[in-house]
Amino acid sequence: MRSLLEVDGISVSFDGFRAINNLSFNIGEAELRAVIGPNGAGKTTFMDIVTGKTRPDEGRVLWGEPSKSLLKMNEAQIARAGVGRKFQRPTVFEDQTVAANLTMALKANRNPFAVLGWRPSRGSAVRVAELAAEVGLADQLDRKSGELSHGQKQWLEIGMLLAQEPRLLLVDEPAAGMTLAEREQTTTLLRRLAETRAVVVVEHDMDFVRRLDCKVTVLHQGSVLAEGSLDHVTRNPDVIEVYLGR
Amino acid sequence: MIHLPRPVIGLALALMLALPGAPALANPQLQAVITENIDQIRKPSRRTVAPLVAQIAATGPEGAALLAAWADRRLGVTEDGRLLIVTGDDATDAATGAAVAGADPDMLRPNSGVRGVIESALVVSQLSDPEPRIRAAALDAIARSGTAEHLQALRDAPADPDAALQARKDRLQTLLTIQHDSDSAARVAAIEALSGDVSLDFRAALNPLLATRVMAATEPPADANIAREITPGSDALSRDAAYDLLKANGTAQPRLTLAAQRDALAANIVDGRAGGVPVADLADPAARDRAYEALEAAGTVTPAATEAEAQAAIDAHRYFEVYAEADAAVTDAARAAQTRAQVRLAAMKGIDLGLDALSLASIYFLAAIGLAVTFGVMRVINMAHGEFIMMGAYTGYVVQTLIAGRTLSLLVALPLAFAVTFLAGVVLYRLVIRHLAHRPLETLLATFGVSIALQQIAKNVFGTQARPLTSPAWLEGAITVNDVISISTIRVAIFVLALLFLGLFLFIMKRTRLGLEVRAVTQNPGMAASMGINPDRIAMMTFGLGSGIAGIAGVAIGLFAKVTSELGQDYIVQSFMTVVVGGVGTIWGTLAGAGLIGGFSKVVESLNPGNTLAAQTFMILFIIIFIQFRPRGIIPQKGRAAEA
Amino acid sequence: MTRKPFLLQNPSVLVVLGLLAAFTLAVTLLSQAYGTGLIPTSTVKILGKTLCLALAAVAMDLVWGYVGILSLGQMAFFALGGYMIGQWLMYARTETIVAASLANNPIPPTPLELQQAVANQIFGVVGSADLPLVWGLAHSLTAQLILVVAVPGLLALLFGWLAFRSRVNGVYLSILTQAMTLALALWLFQNDSGFRGNNGLSGLQNIPGLDAVGQATLSVWFLWASAAALGLGYLLAAWLVSGKFGSVIRAIRDDETRVRFLGYPVEGFKLVVFVLAAMITAIAGALYYPQAGIINPAELAPIASIYLAVWVAIGGRGRLYGAVIGAVVVSLLSSWFTGGRAPDLALPGYVVKWVDWWQVALGLSFVLVTLFAPKGISGLFDWLAGILPPRRHGRDLGPDLGALQEQEAKA
Repeated sequence: MRSLLEVDGISVSFDGFRAINNLSFNIGEAELRAVIGPNGAGKTTFMDIVTGKTRPDEGRVLWGEPSKSLLKMNEAQIARAGVGRKFQRPTVFEDQTVAANLTMALKANRNPFAVLGWRPSRGSAVRVAELAAEVGLADQLDRKSGELSHGQKQWLEIGMLLAQEPRLLLVDEPAAGMTLAEREQTTTLLRRLAETRAVVVVEHDMDFVRRLDCKVTVLHQGSVLAEGSLDHVTRNPDVIEVYLGR
Repeated sequence: MIHLPRPVIGLALALMLALPGAPALANPQLQAVITENIDQIRKPSRRTVAPLVAQIAATGPEGAALLAAWADRRLGVTEDGRLLIVTGDDATDAATGAAVAGADPDMLRPNSGVRGVIESALVVSQLSDPEPRIRAAALDAIARSGTAEHLQALRDAPADPDAALQARKDRLQTLLTIQHDSDSAARVAAIEALSGDVSLDFRAALNPLLATRVMAATEPPADANIAREITPGSDALSRDAAYDLLKANGTAQPRLTLAAQRDALAANIVDGRAGGVPVADLADPAARDRAYEALEAAGTVTPAATEAEAQAAIDAHRYFEVYAEADAAVTDAARAAQTRAQVRLAAMKGIDLGLDALSLASIYFLAAIGLAVTFGVMRVINMAHGEFIMMGAYTGYVVQTLIAGRTLSLLVALPLAFAVTFLAGVVLYRLVIRHLAHRPLETLLATFGVSIALQQIAKNVFGTQARPLTSPAWLEGAITVNDVISISTIRVAIFVLALLFLGLFLFIMKRTRLGLEVRAVTQNPGMAASMGINPDRIAMMTFGLGSGIAGIAGVAIGLFAKVTSELGQDYIVQSFMTVVVGGVGTIWGTLAGAGLIGGFSKVVESLNPGNTLAAQTFMILFIIIFIQFRPRGIIPQKGRAAEA
Repeated sequence: MTRKPFLLQNPSVLVVLGLLAAFTLAVTLLSQAYGTGLIPTSTVKILGKTLCLALAAVAMDLVWGYVGILSLGQMAFFALGGYMIGQWLMYARTETIVAASLANNPIPPTPLELQQAVANQIFGVVGSADLPLVWGLAHSLTAQLILVVAVPGLLALLFGWLAFRSRVNGVYLSILTQAMTLALALWLFQNDSGFRGNNGLSGLQNIPGLDAVGQATLSVWFLWASAAALGLGYLLAAWLVSGKFGSVIRAIRDDETRVRFLGYPVEGFKLVVFVLAAMITAIAGALYYPQAGIINPAELAPIASIYLAVWVAIGGRGRLYGAVIGAVVVSLLSSWFTGGRAPDLALPGYVVKWVDWWQVALGLSFVLVTLFAPKGISGLFDWLAGILPPRRHGRDLGPDLGALQEQEAKA
């Protein structure tokens, strides 16, 4: 399988603390992957590196075909290249309407002058409406997103991610703070998305990971401890030791 | 020409006359000289008097007393040819020392030239005076304006029993050798003996040797001591200056300036035409040239060198810088010595600059430390910080009007200023800043409102004119290392104050409970709060502390700057820069920022002396560019807390 | 989403433009030149200048209220605009005067002589007789008009590029903009900078070629020009902040990082708005200083830019009419109180002279507005319209410090 993202031997340390230690990671064009690991395993830092927020001290991050190095790009360029990220805490622009939030996220030319000349068209309005319907916010389009409930904000953010049409989706703890029904819905959505693109889910919650039913990468102390199906990794003695303690 | 100050002559005389009841010792030798030369004494000529003066001086103390009185215009001559020294109403015979009553001498009034010769001779005799003060005074006089005669006198003078005076004498002798000795080798040796010395007297002795003038010639002048050949159009000699030189030589005609051309044309307008060209066309420079040439051809105006002629004349000559001193060996040695002196001088100026920069950095440090503390703990810029500095300075002023003793008032003012501004800071925190937590831009603006209000209140209370804050006497003056390096005491005191505060601050931060809590809140407020630390109280305390230090800085700044309501404004921007450049959250960052900004502004100032405005402009530009490369300052805060 | 004409989507723009037109018409009809003469010429000038300040405030609101950059350097652009137009005004006028006096000479002057005489006239006061390089285009109105926008625009571009590129923001950025202004002011204060040091440029109220037109008429013309500039500037700003562009810049204000992850080049957006605002401010300055008559480096004092921020804050930032209201109300009140025309306030035991105490009142009222009415005067409109902010006290809207808090967000 061709890989979309290839992370090769990256390391980064903060103030002497080695958050990522010679970590390598691959994901294909259309694949669902769960990344698990205890607190401080380097999950968030890993996403920070892929999205350009943090620069690794060494190693390389290659993207796409023909492969380009993501290390030379800034956050916005990486996002435009097709990497979408969903934060743990829902971050939507609360001062603006749901429609404005979605419109902003729509795939389009991001150049300031192009944005200045951008006018809503029938197509864009339809697309926004579709996205809103998909995340269950069809009747909330003109509300300020700050007035939405926590769960609705999560959905809005997922809607914004879909609007970006990314090729790789990084999702940080999507299940946090969701009801059981919402989790079901999220699982279905993520699995459907993974049919057409790569999706990396960072999660604590083993139940949720089990529901995703996909390949799992276990991080520990900044490097990959084990990789494979959930059943496979949970039988790994190292993983057991890390999760259950010595 | 030597000119002794009156007190020296008076002192010499007084000492000579201070032998009470001294027997009227006749000095037959002096008497003889007087008798022989009485006519010349009556009407001395500067050119011929020197041997006579030497003769008189050689007769001993009486001769010296006579000379002193003569130079002082207190010498009279009686009709029978006796010389009397007149002191007030009394008079004594110069040769015998006997008091003379009722005499009515004809007072001698030697001109300044003659007096110069006399005083010169007097100095020589004073050099061997038994009284060290007299000898020191004589050396002073020689140091001020030494001549070739002095050089001889110094050489002839007996060794001085006082080692310090002997050393001075030797040095003077060397300096005079450089300037006045006739033997070239001796002069070169003297120059080399002092080579590398940076003191003013040595440099002053070298300067006349290296003085040059520029001369124009077609060939190198054979008899002149040429320093170098220069080309016109260089920095040393502009082309205009070269042409002026030729004009002064009489080898070139005056050039036609545009103004002269215009005036000449204006003077020769006939029937609305000048030189055949209609006046209305003369707005064109080419037309003016045509008109002037026509007038020249007609002989109406004097021919003047055109630009091309002038340039040709300039190029036809060579230009030489010629030493006034004829001896090439001496000038070479002097040049080498001057170069060495300049190198050492530059090094010393560097040290002096370093001291200046250090004191400026101390001031910035004192002004910025409070700001850095509050910014570090609360991420809040207090625009009223400058006004706290001002409040401190005014507190010092008010204390000074109440307490007369300057030292005492300063000792009272420092803690009082701290207390006043501490309180002001706490009040500001409770009333304003606390309610704007986590909104730094709003805080900036709100504290700015406080700042303009405080400034205007100060203006209303104290008026617009500057108030003096005088430092105690022991803080005035300067510590001088040599001619180049010196630093005023007050700046040293401020440096010490800054060091004290650095120490105090480090102590509070590292060794006290408050410091621990402050550091905890700085690094992670949420975690600190859950550990039972009340961030609000910590913020209030640090805000008060920062403001209090601003008050103390205000007293310190007030001691050397004028206390006005705008005092704070002058320092606030620099304080911000210090914090920004240094990096937030560490005292060492503030220190580094203050050092960098103080050093940089002094260096720029020294490169561009007399233009502090340009220095400040460059400093700010430097900071803007510096931020490009180290956005978090010299010593950035580390770890995840810094990422937020 | 249906498409409506821009003005219909933003009725407040129509209201502002209508009020502006009505105001201009009223002043014209009451002026000495075109109407009853009820309003003296000096007042017309004050009103014209106020409109320019309002335009500068609109630009300030763009960068601060919409993009969240508290720029304390706006007055640098304002003054630069003034200096650029002032160069032409001063040069052209001096040229006319000098040419008239040289015409008495028997010989007409050469272009060089004329230029030297002009230079001598302008720079004699700083002990120089040469025309500095920066005055090379001063003879051309077209060139200087281009420079009015080009110089501040380039300065903003350079400064903004440097600052935004290294991700300086928040308080740091404010201090840096203040430093930039201070550096420019200090440079202009030097006699050899070519701008007459602390003398500044003067006599700008006399427009070359319009000597026959009296100041009474000129003042009204400038009022019209200022009103037109404000109207156009307001329209431009309103258009900028209305569409997707406005959406993005407000998003940058609230959560810069998130906008980056959406793929927007945040620095580019900031730069566009910063430069555009600098140009608008410069145009405002170019119209202001001919009405003021004189410009000197003191105009660039950091405090002046902070006043601009004060007006916007008091008016209500984040909405354009708030900026206009703030600038007009506070600057007119300031000139009334500091002009000595306000009656003293007699308190028991102390008479408050407003000339002395207005600054104090302004400073404190500013603190009060920041503390208790963050929406400023224009918050009153919400109140009148019955729009109340959601009664929720919550955390910041975005993860960055300084983002709006929930209770601030417009309902």
